[in-house]
Amino acid sequence: MRLELKEIKKSFDGKEILHGISFSVESGKALGLLGRNGAGKTTTIRIIMDVFHADSGEVLMDGSKFHYQPGDIGYLPEERGLYPKRVIGEQLVYLGMLRGLNKKQAVSNMKKWLERLDVSEYENRKLDTLSKGNQQKVQLAATLVSDPEIVILDEPFSGLDPVNAQILKDVITELIQEGKIVIFSSHQMSYVEEFCEEIVIINHGEAVLTGDLEKIKMSYGEGRKVVSANNYTLPELADKLSSELSDMLHVVNTNKHSVIFEMEKGYDQWQILEKMKQLDIDVKSFGIYEPSLNDIFVSKVGEEEADK
Amino acid sequence: MKNVKNVLRFELGNYFGSKSWIISTILIALLCVVIMFFPRVLAGFRNDDEENSSETVSEEDMSTYAFYDAAGVMDMELLSEYYSDVKITVCEQEDEVRNLVDSQEAELGFVVTSPTSYDYYVYNKEMFADYQTRFQEYLATLVKYSYCEKNNLNPEEFFALDSVNITANENILGKDSSQNYWYCYILVIIVFMVIVMYGTIIATGVANEKGNRSIEIMVTSTSSTSLLFGKVFAGAIATLFQVGLIALSLLGSYQLNKEYWGEGISMFFDIPTGVLIAFAVFGLGGFLLYAFLYGALGALVSKVEDLNKSAGTAQMLVTIVYILVLVQLTNIDGILMKILSFLPISSYSAMFARVAMGSVETWEVVVSAILLYASVIGMGFLGGKIFRNSTLRYGNPIKLSNALKDLKKK
Repeated sequence: MRLELKEIKKSFDGKEILHGISFSVESGKALGLLGRNGAGKTTTIRIIMDVFHADSGEVLMDGSKFHYQPGDIGYLPEERGLYPKRVIGEQLVYLGMLRGLNKKQAVSNMKKWLERLDVSEYENRKLDTLSKGNQQKVQLAATLVSDPEIVILDEPFSGLDPVNAQILKDVITELIQEGKIVIFSSHQMSYVEEFCEEIVIINHGEAVLTGDLEKIKMSYGEGRKVVSANNYTLPELADKLSSELSDMLHVVNTNKHSVIFEMEKGYDQWQILEKMKQLDIDVKSFGIYEPSLNDIFVSKVGEEEADK
Repeated sequence: MKNVKNVLRFELGNYFGSKSWIISTILIALLCVVIMFFPRVLAGFRNDDEENSSETVSEEDMSTYAFYDAAGVMDMELLSEYYSDVKITVCEQEDEVRNLVDSQEAELGFVVTSPTSYDYYVYNKEMFADYQTRFQEYLATLVKYSYCEKNNLNPEEFFALDSVNITANENILGKDSSQNYWYCYILVIIVFMVIVMYGTIIATGVANEKGNRSIEIMVTSTSSTSLLFGKVFAGAIATLFQVGLIALSLLGSYQLNKEYWGEGISMFFDIPTGVLIAFAVFGLGGFLLYAFLYGALGALVSKVEDLNKSAGTAQMLVTIVYILVLVQLTNIDGILMKILSFLPISSYSAMFARVAMGSVETWEVVVSAILLYASVIGMGFLGGKIFRNSTLRYGNPIKLSNALKDLKKK
């Protein structure tokens, strides 16, 4: 299965919020849907789920128009919401039946997911008697109760302790292995890097970066190196390189552990290392720069902001 | 729409799963039964008391009336016959009568100033009490005796002629408005209360779902029309159960105790079956119509605190209809009542009132019912669309006019 969005545009009260969003995701893969607050991620998700109609553009499934059916997509919204005063098991069965399951299947799925998420003991409890973390897991069970083929998770790790976060990681990994389409929206980039092969960065209603995460990382790291030294702090090292080696390289940035630089044409890494030795720079580490998703996100969104 | 049944079943749990709702329903029904049985219980005590000490107690319980004959026309023997159940105190002057009443030693005081005029005193006048009829009859009898004496007539023959009994058998071929007025009045109030009370419950439920964000899960799990229809039908079933149980307790226990209540309240409870059916059909239609409106209005706000701002539209409409119908009950066949009985927003109240009290053709009832239920369906789908467009819009309450404009844009 391949879910594809093509040139989606949407306006509210005359103001265009989405300016032609396009991306696609396939079965057995997770897509990271990234963007700052108010970038248009939730509106995009709601258009996929037919809560809002796009003004123009298409949502396609395997090349044909996608007709949303509630059982097709399991959606965990960022703003969690179930009935606080109703019994958990009853709510999950209800949601399962609304999404097309018969009662027997709904009961069976409810039990399966509560057990898988380690909250089966709360089946007969009211939701508001549970801790925030357990409520979060119940919410995830509600998302998955109909065994949907597409799973959209908006900030799924918010409020979870490390143990519960691990359970959720395992579940997401299983969903991907089972061939589900997973769309993963989060500001916690480490989780996105962990699960997603592809990413879309939305900024001000535009998809400013889409594609394979590894390739994006490679393209962002291309020609760039990292270096650190035992006898200089990172800012001192950056200043030293900028002043003494300006003909051979230019410093791009510093991250937590290294100074990032790009080599000028005509020089290679060995010449630069030799020059550093002559300058008494005690090199601690030297290598190829592999940007984190966070670096890419900040860099890309920052560029866009600067352009505007 | 296939999920209406699932939503309905789940929403019913909000009512029947609530202990406070069940307990309050049962308590109100029991209270109705207790009230209706009260005269029977009271009569039982009275019978026992009468058997044990009827004479002494009745002497003590007698009221005292004070009389002063300023005109010198009163016949005390005749007065005793007229007031056999009252202690009579004869006074020497008007002030004495006044003081006895003022100190509440006498319940009433009469000062006869001429054969055909008198003053009377009472401490606190009750709203519907009749203090004068018996005394006026007494004075009239004195005047008649005096006339007979002056004209040499036989008083027995005169009084026999004066009090000829005329027998009349009433045959009402249409409706008895004097009898039907009061229960109609009560039913109009009941349907108004039910619509406002349960409409607000439905609107609050929707606003709560929006407030706790469960609405986002719901609208992505089924159609908004299914949600709204399920919620409204659940509200209707809960209302029928609650109001039905209370009405059944009230009417059922009244029937069992009818003889103890006398004629006083029969005007409220002796409701013909046809009127009850009309009330049920039109009352239910009106309830559903407004419940859909209330449900949609509930979706226009983000917080329950803002509900008054949006639900005020429905509240005002129901109140205007309520006042107009109540005022027009005394002019049941007037043109305004005829118009109100065909408008779906008011026919739920006006048409059953016309059925109970006015002249109404069968076709009129049928046309009005069709219009009402067609509007219910229309309002259901319109409400569903407003619900869908409004549920995920947060912030300031959305005006109904803006919500309707947004529908046109789609």
